[in-house]
This record gives sequence, structure tokens and C-alpha cells, in this order.
Amino acid sequence: MRRRVAIVGYAQSHHQHNMQKTREDMVFEVCKEALHNAGILREDLDTVVTASSDFLDGRTISSVFLSMAVGAFMKDESKVEEDGTFALYYALMRILAGSHDVALVEAHTQGSTLNPHQVTCFTLDPLFDRQIGVLNDIAAAALQARMYMNRHSVSEKHLAMVAVKNITNAAKNPYAHRKMPDLSVKEVMSSKVFYDPIRELTMSPISDGACAVILASEEKAKKFTDKPVWIEGVGTCQDSYLRDRNIENLDSLQTAARTAYKMAGIKNPLAELDVAEVSEKFAHEELMIYEALGLCKKGQGKNLIEKGTTRRDGSMPVNPSGGALGADPVCATGLIRVIEAAKQIKGEAGRYQVPGVRRALAHGQFGICAQKNTVYILGGN
Amino acid sequence: MKRNVAIIGCGQTKHSSRRRDVNVAELVSEAVFNALEDAKVSLREVDAFVVGNMPGFGGIAQPEQWLGDSIGAAGKPVLRIATGGTTGGSVGQGGYYTVASGLHDVVVAVAWEKHSDSKEAGATTGLLHVGLANFFHASAYGLSLKNLVATSVVGAAAGVAVYQATFYMYRSGCSIKHFDMVAAKARRNAAKNKYAHLQWPGCTPEDIAKTEIITYPFRYGHVCPASDGASAIVVAEETVAKKKARQPAWFKGLASYSDEENQLQSENMGGVGVTDPSEQRGAWLSAMKAYRMAGIRDPQKEIDMAEIYQPFPSQELIFSERLGLFDEGTAWKALERGETDINGRMPLDPSGGVNATNAIGSSAMQRILECALQIMGKAEEHQVPKKVHNAVAHGWGGVTNYTTVTVLGDSPGR
Repeated sequence: MRRRVAIVGYAQSHHQHNMQKTREDMVFEVCKEALHNAGILREDLDTVVTASSDFLDGRTISSVFLSMAVGAFMKDESKVEEDGTFALYYALMRILAGSHDVALVEAHTQGSTLNPHQVTCFTLDPLFDRQIGVLNDIAAAALQARMYMNRHSVSEKHLAMVAVKNITNAAKNPYAHRKMPDLSVKEVMSSKVFYDPIRELTMSPISDGACAVILASEEKAKKFTDKPVWIEGVGTCQDSYLRDRNIENLDSLQTAARTAYKMAGIKNPLAELDVAEVSEKFAHEELMIYEALGLCKKGQGKNLIEKGTTRRDGSMPVNPSGGALGADPVCATGLIRVIEAAKQIKGEAGRYQVPGVRRALAHGQFGICAQKNTVYILGGN
Repeated sequence: MKRNVAIIGCGQTKHSSRRRDVNVAELVSEAVFNALEDAKVSLREVDAFVVGNMPGFGGIAQPEQWLGDSIGAAGKPVLRIATGGTTGGSVGQGGYYTVASGLHDVVVAVAWEKHSDSKEAGATTGLLHVGLANFFHASAYGLSLKNLVATSVVGAAAGVAVYQATFYMYRSGCSIKHFDMVAAKARRNAAKNKYAHLQWPGCTPEDIAKTEIITYPFRYGHVCPASDGASAIVVAEETVAKKKARQPAWFKGLASYSDEENQLQSENMGGVGVTDPSEQRGAWLSAMKAYRMAGIRDPQKEIDMAEIYQPFPSQELIFSERLGLFDEGTAWKALERGETDINGRMPLDPSGGVNATNAIGSSAMQRILECALQIMGKAEEHQVPKKVHNAVAHGWGGVTNYTTVTVLGDSPGR
């Protein structure tokens, strides 16, 4: 990268189903807290990039009444319409270009406004798939899960084990939405079926939530903090449309991860990464993500969950914060992973801290069956 | 330390009320492949895509996920930027940052709108939905519905623009006659632009003045159309740019400062809102920053032409002043003297501008694209007669609060 860029501050809301707060209040509070966390003022910001969606927010130009809430008033700003990790990507590019030094990145969705799963129907091919009316993100995920499970002899129990790991981890995270400290595999496997094999507890909850991250160039970061978290690598990629790709694989995630690893000089991710925070909207996706990230060979994702490798006390913890199964405020979910990864590096993760984290991976996704993916490698020194 | 970045190819579609011959994916790919052909760049050489439109108007959420394959974006980074009326400008600027960051070398930035696919009557009423979700909150929390009512009476784009125009008329002393002149110029210029929508060769202010007043101070003949169309640019770093293009259009300066939201909404938020929507401090700040980056000290002398975002004719006058091309309150005098004509001292919107063609997501991108065409000498019939060294492209939107300003030049500048 042309400049070193660091995360110097962050904040997130207490994600929940119906926050009883206006979108404006929710967003204002996290942005204010992120500035406070970085120890800077609004005046120190050069640029602001937000992430939200018109369809999910239920209004045209979703960002339009948020300029003041996010601190973008009289600032050079823009908005991406997808996961917050893409807003972070854009803010990073604005700093790398040399024309800005300090950026605030904000992402939010209030899932209680409009059901996000219904919104996914509007992302389908409007000329064919939408007209047929049988597909949405859950239905597509169910097809994906069955294809993957059949190919690699993965059972519903493996999916339940992922859910138990993440949802019990979430119980230790004060910001998570779904908290079930005593959840058992049996309980997951007897939860309501939406589309076989997708059950209530093997898919993410519908959450209201927001988060914000402050990015700074090397010179500024060193002024602001003793503990900057550096962005060592980044990669992003979009797959073909649902109908034109093999949903059994997460090819675009693999490409994104390879790009990020190359930039960060990582050759063996399992050995060189200390923790990963990934956006698994469905339990089976986490197993597929292990494989696409190169943490194991193709089809062996189930081994990592069977052996407990990815538990918080395992050798390669994944989602100690609870991941997307713990809280899923759609556009914010990926950026929350970045925050959680940064917290692990700074040793601020409290009851779900993994000891001795130096390098962490954060992943964000958007679209049906994780069509778009972004991967960040964060480091502490 | 800054990386020099240029536009090396431009592509757009024919604009009209209904492009029934293509679907959205085909419309967007028409612009992309025109741009790639113009840039002499193959799809394989493209590293990344920046895309955007106004999702509500086309009725598709995240359309790039479905139509990505049609433009060759599968397997590549795709960044979706959407900021309302400024979307095209924001997408173009996103194209710049994507290359300037050093993460990618050759990028396609494409913006579009296909109004006719939507049940909306178009941008002028579709904007009512900016306040739609307020209704949910208002009813969920038992608040007064004043918020919703306020947003509705604004009357969307036209509703905001009439306030803005009357404020400007008061500030500058111009009259409806000058709006007739701008609208007639836009339609005359559009007649020379084969991609434009409302083409009217030889249109005179008197022709426009014959149309009825629909909401004071605007006549029917002042209002932009709702168009179907797309526009794309190929953005590249210096080595590629110099190899591929005889005369690249270099990005010299850019900014997008946010101002406060429209007056009625702000009133509901405590009455501290904008009192004069023609003031446009965001545009003024954006221009100052963009000129500073470009090393331009006196825009009145150093800028050779401008493409202003003017869905309503008053906006060409207002923003040419906010961008420092004329002194405050004098743009209409320059208009009277013919300075803003295609062959004038400071040609404004030689393409016809948004007033003649408004595929809303694409409109601000077209301003950048048209400036690039003028610098590259590829504007064909609407090429301004003088040599264009520096041009400024403007985008405007939100609820009067978003601006994009992009300065392009025939050399990378400092």
C-alpha cells in the first residue's frame, strides 16, 4: 500500500431487534462515541464515508438526513450502498490517494424497519427469478447448504455446532443481539425450520444496529494513539450472479482473501493469523468460509468445528464475538467484524478476549449466497 | 506522491423517455462497452468497477449483483456508490480514488437510470420517498406526523427548486425571462448532442415562454425530462493513460462537501435549518478544495468551460456563481451577453446538460464525461470552438445538500 493506514477508534451500538431509537439518534450516538474513542474531535475529520441501503432503510437516498448525525456536515463525504466493509474500503482508498488523512466510516441498518429478507427478493433478476417468486436469501442459502452438505458429507449437527459456538460466544459480548449462554446442539436442531436445513438458530437474527470506525494515515495515527491497529492487507471481489455461479463454493471470497494475504505477506493463514471475525449469515457459511480463507482444505471445514479448533479457546478462534449469528444489522455486520478484530488486537475484548492476538482477519459479505466479499488483515505492530 | 489519474475513454447511451429496446443490464453494458472501445481497453485489462444508480427509481436493489456479469465484473472488485442526484458524480470520483489509491490501475466507472421501468413518474416525484421511513418512526413512536407532512409539501425535486429559484431571483435580481433563456440554450445545445434527450434545434426563449407556469417561477418548458440512459468512463493511472490516449482528460481536483438538508426537514429538527437554499455552501467549499488541488487560483480566467448540474434552469445560474465562474449575482448578466453559449467566453453545458437529459443516477457522471470529451476534443458537434485546458464538472442532489465538483484538465497539473 502507498501509505500505512490505521484504525484509531471505533464504536458500536447495543444491537437488538427493535431499538426504540430513531435511525438518526442511533447513528449519532455511535459516531460521537467513535470520535471519543479515538480521542479526536469532528474538526479533525477530513472525510466521511457511510454504508446503508435505500431499500433496507425504506427511503430514497438513505444517507440524506444523516449528514449531521454522522458528522459529515461541511465535510468531503460519500456513501456506498452495501456492507460497511466496502465503505471502509472506499475510505481507505481516499486516504491512500493522499488527499485525506482522517476518515470516519459509519454503517447501519434497522432490520425492524423493513424485513431484510424480503428486501433480498428485490436484488434478484427482475426479469425472471423475481417474477417466479420462489427465491429469497434464505431459500438460496438452503439450496447452497444442501449442495455443500451433500458434497462433503456435512450433517445438520455440524451446522448446529457452529451455531452453538457463535451464539454462546455472543452471550459474553455486551453488544450482541442474540444471547443464549446455555444453548445446546439439540436445542438448535429442534428450532423452527425456515427452509430445510435452515433453522431459526442456524441463521442470523434481524437486528437494529450501527457502528463507526475512525481511520487515520500513519502520521496522524501516531499522534492520536499509542495502539494503532494497522490495515496490513485488503481484498474484495464480486462473484457472478446466483444463477451463473456454482454456489457450492465461495470463489469471490477466496479471491478476496488471496489478494489480502498477498498484500499482508501471509503464506499460511492458519499459522499466521491469531483470530478471525467473519460474517456468517448462516451456520453452513462459516464452514465454507474456513475453506475459502484457506484455514483448511476444501470439504474439511467440518473438521475444524468437530475438533474445536475455531472455538474461543481453540488454536484458530473464529468469531469469539459471536459473529453474524450473534447480531446482524445488515450493512453494519461486516464493519462490526472489523471492530471486533481490532478489539482483539488491542486486548479490549473483555470476556471474549483471545490471549496474545497480533494479527487478525475480518470479513464482510453482501448479496445472496455471499456474492460479494471483502477481507481485511489487521495487525498490531 | 500523488498518483496522476486520467479518463481515457467515455461511453454513453442514447437517452430517451423509454428505451424499450433494452433492459437495464443491456443499457448499462451499452455504455460500458462504448467506453472500453473508446479507450481501446479490453475487459481483461480492467481491474475494478465502480457503479451506481438510484435504486428506488429502477425498482431493483443492488442491481450490480444481477447485472455485474453483463459488464464483465464477475471475479473483480465492484464498489457500489449511491448518493441521490449526485450519484454519477460520486461514482466518477470513486473511479478516481480507486486508481489514485494505488490499489487498482484501470477502472470502469458506470452510472445509469432506467426511469421507465419504474412505476414512479420520475425523479421529480420519486424523491418524495426520502421521507417515507419517517412515517414508520412517527407512527411507531407516537410522534406528530408533521415530519411526514413537511417532507411531502416540499414537492420533491421541483418543490425544493422553486424555493431555491425564488431566493436566487431575490438575491440576484434576475427574472423568469432568464430561466427561459437557459432552458432554450439547453435544448439548442442538446440538438447538437446525438445522445441527448430533449433536442430542439433553434429553440428560442420565446418558444419556452409560451409554455405554462406549472409552479412559480417554473414553466413546463423549464423542467428536465425523466430519461433512460447510462454513462461510463474508463479511468487509468499515468502509464496506461499515456499509452492508450492521445489526449487523456486528467483529474486535477475533486471534492464533495455536504451541506445541511432542506429547510423544512431541518425546521422539524429544531428550526436551525437552511434558510436560503440558493446559498449552497457545500458547492462553494467543494469548488474551493477542488481548485486548490488543481492549482487554480482564478477560476474565472483559468476554467475554460463547465458542465453544471441544472435540472431546473435557475440552477445553472446559481451554481456557476457558487463555483466561482462568475461574481455573485452576475451569472444572468453573462447569460444575456451570450458568454455562456457554446461559442462564448465561458460555455456552460454545451451538451445541453441535465435540463435536456436526466437519467438521474447518470446525470452527474455525464457532467464529468462531457468535460472529458471537451478536453479530449471528442465532443463532435457540440465541441466548444476554443481549446479547453481546464473544465469543471458539477453534480448536485440530496435534499439540496449534496455536491460533487470535479476539475479535469489537459495536463496532470501539479
